[in-house]
Amino acid sequence: MASSNIEFVYQNKIFEITNPDSNETLLNFIRTKLKKTGTKEGCAEGGCGACTVVLGELKKNEINYKAINSCITFLPTLQGKQLILVEDLILKNGSLHPVQQAMVNYHGSQCGFCTPGFIMSLFSMFKKNSKFKNDEIKDSIAGNLCRCTGYQPIIKAAKSLKNKSKIDEFSKSKKNTINLLKKINNKSVVIYHKGKKYFAPRYLMELKKILKKNADVDFLSGGTDLSLVVTKERKDINSIVYMNSIRDLNYIKNNNKYIEVGASTPLIEFESYIKKYYPDFTKILKRYGSPQIRNVATIAGNIATASPIGDCLPLLLSLNAEIVLQDFKKTKVLFLNDFFISYRKTKLKKGQFIHSIRIPVLKGNTFKAYKVSKRYDDDISSVCAAFNLRIIKNKVQSVRIAYGGMAAIPKRAIYCEKILSNSIVTDEIVSKAKKALEKDFKPISDMRASGLYRMEVAKNLLEKLYFEIKQKKIIGVYF
Amino acid sequence: MKIENFINENRPHESAIKHVSGQAHYTDDIPEPPGTLYGAIGWSKKSHAIIKKINLDEVIKSEGVIAVVTEDDIVGRNDVGPVFDGDPIFPKKAEYYGQPLYAVAATTTELARKAVLKAKISYKTLKPITTIQEALKKKSFVLKEKIIKKGEALKAIENSPYRLKGNFTTGSQEHFALEGQAAFVIPQEDNDFKVFSKTQHPSETQQIIAKMLNQKSNTITVETRRIGGSFGGTETQSFIFAAICTLLAKKTKRAVKLRIDRDDDIIITGKRHDFYSEYEVGFDELGVIKGLKLKLASRCGISPDLSGAINDRALLHIDNAYYLENVLLENYLCKTNTASNTAFRGFGGNQGMMAIENIIDHIATSLKKDSAEIRRRNFYQKKKKNITHYNMKIEDNIIQEIFDQLIKSSNYKSRMQNIKKFNSENKYIKKGIAMTPVKFGISFTTWHLNQAGALVHIYFNDGSVHVNTGAIEMGQGTYTKIAQLAANALGLPFNKIKVSATRTDKVPNTSASAASSTTDLNGAATLNAISKIKKNLSEYVKRKYKIKNSEGIYENGMVKFKGKIFKFNKLIKEAYLNRVSLSSSGFYATPKIHFDKKNFKGRPFLYFCYSAAVSEVIIDILTGENKILRADILHDAGRAINPAIEMGQIEGGFVQGAGWLGCEEVNWKTNGQITTHSPSTYKIPAVSDMPEKFNAEIFKKGKNIENVINKSKTTGEPPLMNAMSVFFAIKNAIASIRDYNINPKLDAPATPERILMSIKNLKKKYEK
Ligand SMILES: Cc1cc2nc3c(=O)[nH]c(=O)nc-3n(C[C@H](O)[C@H](O)[C@H](O)COP(=O)(O)OP(=O)(O)OC[C@H]3O[C@@H](n4cnc5c(N)ncnc54)[C@H](O)[C@@H]3O)c2cc1C
Ligand code: FES
Ligand code: FES
Repeated sequence: MASSNIEFVYQNKIFEITNPDSNETLLNFIRTKLKKTGTKEGCAEGGCGACTVVLGELKKNEINYKAINSCITFLPTLQGKQLILVEDLILKNGSLHPVQQAMVNYHGSQCGFCTPGFIMSLFSMFKKNSKFKNDEIKDSIAGNLCRCTGYQPIIKAAKSLKNKSKIDEFSKSKKNTINLLKKINNKSVVIYHKGKKYFAPRYLMELKKILKKNADVDFLSGGTDLSLVVTKERKDINSIVYMNSIRDLNYIKNNNKYIEVGASTPLIEFESYIKKYYPDFTKILKRYGSPQIRNVATIAGNIATASPIGDCLPLLLSLNAEIVLQDFKKTKVLFLNDFFISYRKTKLKKGQFIHSIRIPVLKGNTFKAYKVSKRYDDDISSVCAAFNLRIIKNKVQSVRIAYGGMAAIPKRAIYCEKILSNSIVTDEIVSKAKKALEKDFKPISDMRASGLYRMEVAKNLLEKLYFEIKQKKIIGVYF
Repeated sequence: MKIENFINENRPHESAIKHVSGQAHYTDDIPEPPGTLYGAIGWSKKSHAIIKKINLDEVIKSEGVIAVVTEDDIVGRNDVGPVFDGDPIFPKKAEYYGQPLYAVAATTTELARKAVLKAKISYKTLKPITTIQEALKKKSFVLKEKIIKKGEALKAIENSPYRLKGNFTTGSQEHFALEGQAAFVIPQEDNDFKVFSKTQHPSETQQIIAKMLNQKSNTITVETRRIGGSFGGTETQSFIFAAICTLLAKKTKRAVKLRIDRDDDIIITGKRHDFYSEYEVGFDELGVIKGLKLKLASRCGISPDLSGAINDRALLHIDNAYYLENVLLENYLCKTNTASNTAFRGFGGNQGMMAIENIIDHIATSLKKDSAEIRRRNFYQKKKKNITHYNMKIEDNIIQEIFDQLIKSSNYKSRMQNIKKFNSENKYIKKGIAMTPVKFGISFTTWHLNQAGALVHIYFNDGSVHVNTGAIEMGQGTYTKIAQLAANALGLPFNKIKVSATRTDKVPNTSASAASSTTDLNGAATLNAISKIKKNLSEYVKRKYKIKNSEGIYENGMVKFKGKIFKFNKLIKEAYLNRVSLSSSGFYATPKIHFDKKNFKGRPFLYFCYSAAVSEVIIDILTGENKILRADILHDAGRAINPAIEMGQIEGGFVQGAGWLGCEEVNWKTNGQITTHSPSTYKIPAVSDMPEKFNAEIFKKGKNIENVINKSKTTGEPPLMNAMSVFFAIKNAIASIRDYNINPKLDAPATPERILMSIKNLKKKYEK
């Protein structure tokens, strides 16, 4: 039975909301209804981390503590999860959580406005990893901006947590929390609120039933793109199907020919899985948004936006990925290459959704990807490039190259591929291939980069690729 | 027994526990009375246009809307300009994209924000001026240009064996304090208003609102407990939001909260001035500057705001740490159809310093010498060459010591050699290193602002102490430091002192918390108030116990007079019962300073802060991507009141400066529309941008020679300029491509794009 109430665990109790507004953000709810003002708004678009809260999700009888941006999370998606706020970390007797204490000890706050967000990101790291490396500290707070401290004291605070006991109030009450989560996490939600519809099915079958009656819905996966319609454009989204509640779409399978990723698999899970096959895919994903974003965002969402700067897209294009589309009755498999039509337009029809993505397993190929942006952490690419080559005895047998940020859609560099294909690559071929990019692309100028720069970088990345393959090493500044 | 001493001690920020547990209240967190409304602002979509008609019918009809306000609702002064007019609250003619035109109050923030989008506005578009170059060409200025002369610059240049010419630009910068603009106004009886504002300047907020309402200042009370960062962004830019919020509260007779969305915040408010300079310099074979001619033009936006003082500070820092014998400076304050640029940490000083550092760097490459050496040769000296171009004698110069110590501790010279080797072995990846000094003048250059007040009460029943000043706590730790000073002066534990929210009805006529002087001024005023109470106490004790010539020593909760020792609490209670006043106001005015702005001569600063930094960077010459590998900083904080807090300023300022000169780029379309107005398009440094190795240190021998509280020196603004070393390290890395033989042209910010284009041009130049 579908319910019009949502339930979540908060402060060791089940908290129920009747008929919530599906467009209300979690941040708004926390600040104006729960009246907890520790969680801050710094941008309302997932870009600063001030609104970070932690969600506990049941996974294989364990709780997975995910940091998320509450400013771009819709309230009903809280269904079946545990909500943890910065205020919940301090004990009634006033004693601080180890993460909080460390931030005090190392002078991790100045104006303090970013601090609750940092606390929650570090709390999630603290709960997840028993031992973390310095790199993981930086990864964990890559989605939190601080304008005051320059980060050094925050890093020091985080390092000091390495040897701290991981036992805290949350581990003490874990059993109880798991029981509560089990009680509530097995329900589908249907909400009608002032003309707005919201569905959160648990199974594919349910989804199809919903689609049969409601073709005109917006699919909500991580919501890291869709929610901005509400928080930035200030429009309503009247009909939402929440995809990340569908369990049989959250999977990664591998039949040795291809890896199939279910549409509601968050990027964070895919990013660790794919490392074994395509390490550069993981390298790019590590710089994709922030942990808060990747904890919820999906490849499917990235594909459906068809954004020219979607970071997964050139990579998937160069790997010649396929996407599986479904509606309430049919399934269709399509090469991603045939999916994008024009700027942010795709072949997706009303009522049709992305079911999964299939990424070929190519043994013996060279796969390399580069992301160039103004800032290392959480930035949109000026140029993103992916190269997939099969080289045998110095000869390029096959090649697929795709670029993001160079055209209105993520696009293959066909002319460039032609030059390289079947050639033994030399300096001369490389300069021809560079020149060919001018035929492939006419990049535009915007606030991120000029067209001139994009073209220059696109060409230089070819040179970098050539050099890296020849010298069998990686060159760059980010190590 | 150890004497408890609360200064020179690392103490956590007084609100640290509240910060980490979400219990610290910022403006938007203040509990609201029932019936509170929420505001939003509608703004101009044109950067220069006559507004023919604003049709708000749909706005008024929009769900939840209770009231709208426009220009018609302003009975008094329709302007929030701090010194001069020019910043209308709601204008007749739109002068920039983002200029507020009307506002609404609705039952929720979301409904208010939705409503403002529904206005229909007809404009008659006019041609905007959007760049410094255009403004220079059309002589569009907000204030009159300035010419400053010392010696005979042109002659000196002509007579120099070496001469160089060039131009240089430093970019704008968005403050991006994590807490955005916010105000909360509660109407009181008698038409009075209680205003909570996210501001660095409650007193001016009060006056501006009073003038807008045509009411007396005593009807407006402004209160600010803490703000979530500011960096100059609410020295004046907060006024318009407090003003509009008050208008809405007045019209609806209800409490109104106005929290500005991040995009609107960036679009509506002014930023750091970008500066363009043209220079001509003459120097000798050692690289010592003989004569300098410099034209300095800044983008001020639509109004003077603080641009006069900001440009003055740029001119006052054109020397940085260098003795300039002959200078000719021209300064133009360009009026453009962009938001009115404003205060930002450094206040123009850093822009002036970048101009001279770029020149020194140019000289060094032209002579093929290490730039650190050229810098040293040009330093001010102690006994001679110690008069600035504005005729102030520098008496506290320690730049040489700091520089020399840092050269050693950072291994600058050997690292330079290693870098050269690395560069010769790597084709696509290059490293660079640079060392820069900082000398930064402390005091407001506007003389009368150098004053502060305080109010101190001691409560008789438990001896607890309440302190109030004009200082705004914005993360710099001023409340903590003032509490430390008070605790120390009274010999009490830290937890007996409470510094409470800054309010215009407790301490009046305050200056902005700015110019790095907040703790210097307000700390001194607090000590003055305490000394008055102590005087009351000692007079009582002397009278009562017939003790002569003893003022009392306050330590460890005791007060010792000659032959008589009291517990602090006991003394306080006894004094109360004997009708002794335990409360006092305090006052401080900075001594010694004077400045003749017209002739640009005098002593504008009480003292100087000194610092130096060495940065090492790595760049990818295929993409322009870059990273700071290591930064070493040696900073003079005098005798630091709280070294941990000073260190926070030193490190944080450096990273903020590196953002200004690196990844932070404000972008406008040619029609004046700003395009970088959110964290997705405007990138401030994130965690990976901090130096991989970060060695910041406080100069141990530091001691203020002037009579400043605890002989300390402020650390507010000066650390930001240490980031100049990052920029010149990048330039150094680029120069390596041509064996350091050619001076690369690089403007700030050094974004990956600028770096790559600089490399491209350098290669071209070489090929010719
Ligand atoms: C702070 C921030 C940083 C970001 N950084 C990056 C970055 O570095 N690189 C990058 O590429 N992107 C970035 N993005 C953009 C965004 O995260 C991606 O586009 C993301 O992949 C979208 O996935 P999602 O699951 O959140 O999609 P959603 O927001 O849920 O949906 C996006 C769109 O796809 C549709 N959709 C979702 N799922 C399906 C489905 N299964 N079938 C059909 N349609 C569907 C939705 O209806 C919507 O139109 C960033 C966004 C934010 C807010
Ligand atoms: S408010 Fe900035 S990420 Fe949510
Ligand atoms: S402490 Fe001010 S933004 Fe981080």
